Amino acid sequence: MWLPLTTFKYLGKRALFLLVTLIAAVYLTIMVANAGGLIDNILKAQIRYDIVSSLARSPTWSELTEEEQKRIIDERFQIAIKAKGLDKSFIERTFIYLVDALTLRLGRALFITSASGSKNVGDIILERLPQTVLLFTTGTIIYSIVGLVLGLYMAKHPGGLFDKAFSVFAIVTQVIPPWFFGILFIMVFAYYLGITPFGGMVSIPPPKDPASYAFDVAYHMALPLFTWVFSLFGAWAYIARNLMVQISEEDFVTAARAKGLPENTLMRRYVLRPSLPPVVTIVSLSLISSWQGAIITETVFNWPGLGTLFFQAINSLDAPVVIGLTVIYAYLLVFTVLILDLIYSILDPRIRARG
Amino acid sequence: MKMPKMPRELQEIADAILHSKAGIFGLTILVITIILSTLALVYVPFNIAKEWNNPLFWQRNPRLTPPSWVNVFFGGKLPETIIVANESIRKYSYYLETAGLKYNVLEAKFSYDYQDFPSELRLMLYVNAEKILTDIKWIQPNGIEITLWKGFLRDGLNSIYISSQSDVYNNIVNSLKRLNLTLSIAMRPEIILFMDNNSSNNNPTPVNGIYTLKIAATSSNRTDDVDAALIIYGRVFGLAGTDDKRRDLFVGLVWGAPIALSFGLIAALATSFLQTFIGSLSAWYGGLVDEVIQRITDVYMILPFLPILITISIVYRIDIWTLLLVVVGLSVFGGSTKTARSMTLQIMTEQYIEAAISYGASRKRILFLYILPRLLPYTLANIVLSVPSYVFLEAALSVLGLGDPMMPTWGKIISDAYSGGAVEHGLWWWILLPSALIILTAISFAFIGLALDKVVNPRLRER
Repeated sequence: MWLPLTTFKYLGKRALFLLVTLIAAVYLTIMVANAGGLIDNILKAQIRYDIVSSLARSPTWSELTEEEQKRIIDERFQIAIKAKGLDKSFIERTFIYLVDALTLRLGRALFITSASGSKNVGDIILERLPQTVLLFTTGTIIYSIVGLVLGLYMAKHPGGLFDKAFSVFAIVTQVIPPWFFGILFIMVFAYYLGITPFGGMVSIPPPKDPASYAFDVAYHMALPLFTWVFSLFGAWAYIARNLMVQISEEDFVTAARAKGLPENTLMRRYVLRPSLPPVVTIVSLSLISSWQGAIITETVFNWPGLGTLFFQAINSLDAPVVIGLTVIYAYLLVFTVLILDLIYSILDPRIRARG
Repeated sequence: MKMPKMPRELQEIADAILHSKAGIFGLTILVITIILSTLALVYVPFNIAKEWNNPLFWQRNPRLTPPSWVNVFFGGKLPETIIVANESIRKYSYYLETAGLKYNVLEAKFSYDYQDFPSELRLMLYVNAEKILTDIKWIQPNGIEITLWKGFLRDGLNSIYISSQSDVYNNIVNSLKRLNLTLSIAMRPEIILFMDNNSSNNNPTPVNGIYTLKIAATSSNRTDDVDAALIIYGRVFGLAGTDDKRRDLFVGLVWGAPIALSFGLIAALATSFLQTFIGSLSAWYGGLVDEVIQRITDVYMILPFLPILITISIVYRIDIWTLLLVVVGLSVFGGSTKTARSMTLQIMTEQYIEAAISYGASRKRILFLYILPRLLPYTLANIVLSVPSYVFLEAALSVLGLGDPMMPTWGKIISDAYSGGAVEHGLWWWILLPSALIILTAISFAFIGLALDKVVNPRLRER
């Protein structure tokens, strides 16, 4: 698609702003974590551990006296600390950590290991990311479509019985978070009806051939997906309905109707088209909030994604993982907003013109 | 100057609520909830709630039992907990001068009239003697006598866990053997002790009638004494059942209300007022102030709120009320800042503001007395609308293990139930009752909020 220069100017401005936001979020996390001296202590302990384990591999090491060993460790420790900049002032240190975090050098976990055995926070997080994306992106796409279709239907017949009943449903589901429905649904569908598993992503042991593996994942994904869609499509349909009712009362729609345009064309070109930018905004904003709310929803369903990892990290007080995840969340948010801006600039002609 | 009875802004709010079905519905639920919880608070004093984490306080309650009112629905009479102690135990004691022996005989009689078996049995013996030889017998209404335990007890409190001690189980089986009664399958002691021996072992039925527990204690000192309490744990308990730590969930549900509501209300009040105030400030002073506030708001609105909140609470190990401060701190800027700004910009163009400027009112005066009151309906509606999300935030924090460890809250009970396997074992009362309360509260606020939609949403406003 052809984009004018003003769009790029706009996107450039937004990207700059988002970069500032990202830095602010990460810096805030680091300040929070290191004001208690937490990152310093973790790093120092890890440096010392590295030195001791690398020295212990040397064959002559055990021949040295204990005092000498201690002296060498301390010496190397001081050098390493200087090299890492840990002897600098608090503010300077936070900037060192900021650069580390922004370049995704997230350090090593205290307790949690990845399935492949790595203690690297980056590896652990990367291993979990696809599962989260799989579940919540699928969920968000499904409920957006279902909600949009329902909203459209309700907007066509505002004030009808279905409209009223569904509005109540929307309000009720809107205030209740998905994880809450999750607990109730597991009780109903897994315990009482026994038609879904209690949680997890694959059976243990997982099936061998790819087809039945995929089927097994789908079987496990059904209930969390249903929960996610159930708890969010109502509110979303309600928003879409209000939006479209508002637009269909605009003068240009009335004029088009007066011209005698068929109802379908009217809906598609005059109501749906102008409602697209806000629709995109709301969908992506809810995608953003899904990353966060997913912490508890995933935990409830024992879904092996970022949320469950976050929960494990909290319970084992694995600070490097918690901090690393917060940084990753900040990245995810900022990228979602950036992509949103891009779509927005394509959809909304005013942005194209204004720049 | 005549003062109006109620500020116009508040009148507007009240009208909006009372003139819509949703508003009346929500308000009704909220008022009923508040009245019931106030009554319940009077009924359950605070010093009981304080004992929430003290396992000794709850040891006389059965474990994991549904509420008593299930008896109404399920027909079959599930037993309540029976505690046989003090007056219901007859006590004879005499001292045999010639032998130098003190005899204490305790006879605990109770009537059992249920169609199901108790969940657990425990006998507590308070011994006031250095060493005492005790013989404990169980007599069924039909006269079958079973020896439960024989042996020496020491000074102090001795608990005999009839349901779980293997020596008690062996004694029971041996007694039955002597009466030529054999068990075809292994059964729990509380079932053997209450079952009709003529009924089949696969489908035992309890004997109803007067049971007797006979404790004969012998010791050598004239002042030696023994007291007993027999607890027959039932299968139902109270209005809300019990959890895995035998706690009366009703206490938790009742005392969870003020905590959940105060957390939700304080957070909603503080964030709504702050956001509106800052948004208004931003518009009114304009220029650099406006620019800075708006940019900070933009950043704030895409910060990963929950992860940062969790990081803070882990690093500093803070309790829930400090966490509340952090929540407010993290929501100083937000969606309402933007809305309040645009509303203020609109108000600023009105003539009475111009008039105020022209007669020399200070900027501060105009902001506080002429602009902010106009934003009051919006703020109030916003408070109502955001209460549920904060109530659920408290629950979410509890599920993550970051809630108040000392006091029960709805969220904490749900979290306990979840981690205690209530979902996997179908312990519905443990999870559904707190859930129902939290949902009801949230819905009541949501409906009131819906009624206030006109006030919040300036586009829907006709003026």
